[in-house]
Amino acid sequence: VKPLILRSAFIGIGAGLVSGLFGVGGGIIVVPALVLLIGLTQFQASGTSAATIVASSTAGLVAFAVNGQVDWRAALVIFIGSGTGAWLGAHSITRIPERTLTTAFAVVLIVAGVRMWL
Amino acid sequence: VIEIFGFLALGLFAGAMAAALGVGGGIIFVPALVIVAGFDQHLAQGTSLAIILPTAIVSTLVHARAGRVVWPVAIPIGVAGLIGALLGARAAIALDPELLRRLFGILLVVIAARMLLRARRPYADQINDRSEPGSGPS
Repeated sequence: VKPLILRSAFIGIGAGLVSGLFGVGGGIIVVPALVLLIGLTQFQASGTSAATIVASSTAGLVAFAVNGQVDWRAALVIFIGSGTGAWLGAHSITRIPERTLTTAFAVVLIVAGVRMWL
Repeated sequence: VIEIFGFLALGLFAGAMAAALGVGGGIIFVPALVIVAGFDQHLAQGTSLAIILPTAIVSTLVHARAGRVVWPVAIPIGVAGLIGALLGARAAIALDPELLRRLFGILLVVIAARMLLRARRPYADQINDRSEPGSGPS
């Protein structure tokens, strides 16, 4: 078996587990893995990651949906909002220095993380 | 009606952050649904996946048209990802929602710590280090 396939399968299993376990896409694992382990460029990693998330989120979604653990109405409304937000974000938020934005966002995540632990 | 505007605002914020920082929506959707909307951890995660799937489909189409999807890599990762995600989701569903919520809290702090480290040293530098062996600490 080619090492590329093996490495890909390894990344896929790891990212899939995180995706299914936590209800996230798995890009936080796939993107750096594609750059560091496969040697893709950042652009290729983003695009390739999106394609793999289609697969992993489908599997996770089916499992949760079968258990009735999906609020479809909320999902639809948030999806509409996030599409609009992504467009706005790509066009205007970039005026805020990325480092400032990253730091602020990370602090919010830490507060949310602690809140979820409690 | 207020609820719908709340979800819309959450989507706007998450989408803008995702586009500006390149982070996925899930790490925003799940905590927001749990903390702000009062969802049960399982319901929040299932709903998050229902938002991520169509987002990823649109994103893949856009990237594929720009030639940024490396299919020989994407396909094996996707197939393995299907299996991994199914196992992960089954484990999540079997877990006590309170324990799962706590684990998610840890995940958030780990991701945030990584983001802070990366903000101090741009990711591009790390990639450049890789292409020039011996020039970086890693």
